[in-house]
Amino acid sequence: MKRFGGLCIAMLLGWATAALAQTWQVDATHSALTFTNTYQNVEYTGQFHRFDAEIVYDPNDLAHAKFDVSVDIASLDTQNSERDHTALGADFFDTAKFPKAHFVTTAFRKTADGRVVADGVLTLRGVSKPVALTVRFKPDGDTATLDVTAQLKRLDFGIGTGQWADPSMIGDGVTVRGHLLLHARP
Amino acid sequence: MPLRSTEQGWGALVRTFHWLIAVLIVAQGVIGLTMVQMGLTPAKVRVFALHKSIGMTILALVLLRIAWRLTERRPADPAAMPRWQRRAAHALHLALYALILALPLSGWWFNSTANAPLVWFGWFDLPSLTGGYAPIWKPRALLLHQTLFWILVALLAGHVGAAFWHHFRERDDVLRRMTIGPRKQNGEAR
Repeated sequence: MKRFGGLCIAMLLGWATAALAQTWQVDATHSALTFTNTYQNVEYTGQFHRFDAEIVYDPNDLAHAKFDVSVDIASLDTQNSERDHTALGADFFDTAKFPKAHFVTTAFRKTADGRVVADGVLTLRGVSKPVALTVRFKPDGDTATLDVTAQLKRLDFGIGTGQWADPSMIGDGVTVRGHLLLHARP
Repeated sequence: MPLRSTEQGWGALVRTFHWLIAVLIVAQGVIGLTMVQMGLTPAKVRVFALHKSIGMTILALVLLRIAWRLTERRPADPAAMPRWQRRAAHALHLALYALILALPLSGWWFNSTANAPLVWFGWFDLPSLTGGYAPIWKPRALLLHQTLFWILVALLAGHVGAAFWHHFRERDDVLRRMTIGPRKQNGEAR
């Protein structure tokens, strides 16, 4: 019982120190921003190799949490050079006019089943829409892993409209996943 | 028309395979040469998908055809044919089989190196031969596919030319037995 009490105190102390708003540095080489979509009804995965993320996160202080992510769209890679070239063109991401995508959180909340959801606004191809991320955060000493998932619809952002709108050609639904390795900033 | 081939002529199944594959190869050549000229639209994507589906169909048909051919005899060469012509004809036929197999396989390989989808008439996926994107092999696979195509065109020109030569110059049954059937002994078609 004494031991249990000691453990409880240690855990409380641990929480107390973690309760200070924590800023994290993204380890780019061990992090990835990927998405899954379908082309001719076949699933494929793409990646944005370059992005910047400012992460302020403490699981016990969601009120002060903030994600601010900027993505270099031209770093798109779907392992298919024709597809990448087309995707950056005016009919799709139109990187000449919109080189960056930006996501910033507005609020964090806990769902009934205990998951953390980050509500935010994604600005992509000049269109700003609310987007919700599910957040999984695993601290491990001075490092942590952060996994986020979001469901988007490409047509909401005007990516491949008109003749390319047909979802049997290019699926409308896109699942975006971020896997970040974080280092605590002092 | 018997299903199996006889001493005198090709059976119904071989003729069906022959003409079905012939029609598909001609369509495939026309589609292939046309599609690469198209601007990038959904129509182009669909025509490419059609080209891939027809190619995989030809591959399946030629495999079935070879399997069937191994179970039966081939009709005798015309008695008047010199030995060198028989050898040349058999070599050409063997080369045609090899090309008709190699063209869809090289296309499948090229498609795999490009990491492009391969869905048979929108029905089911065929696996990648390269386990994903292989940009180093992609130009080589394309060059192979194109080179094999032009070799096939040349061999087919020889094949068609030889068929007409047999029919109009030699006046033998070689073309007839792959189409309407060989003449009977009294000269009527059967």
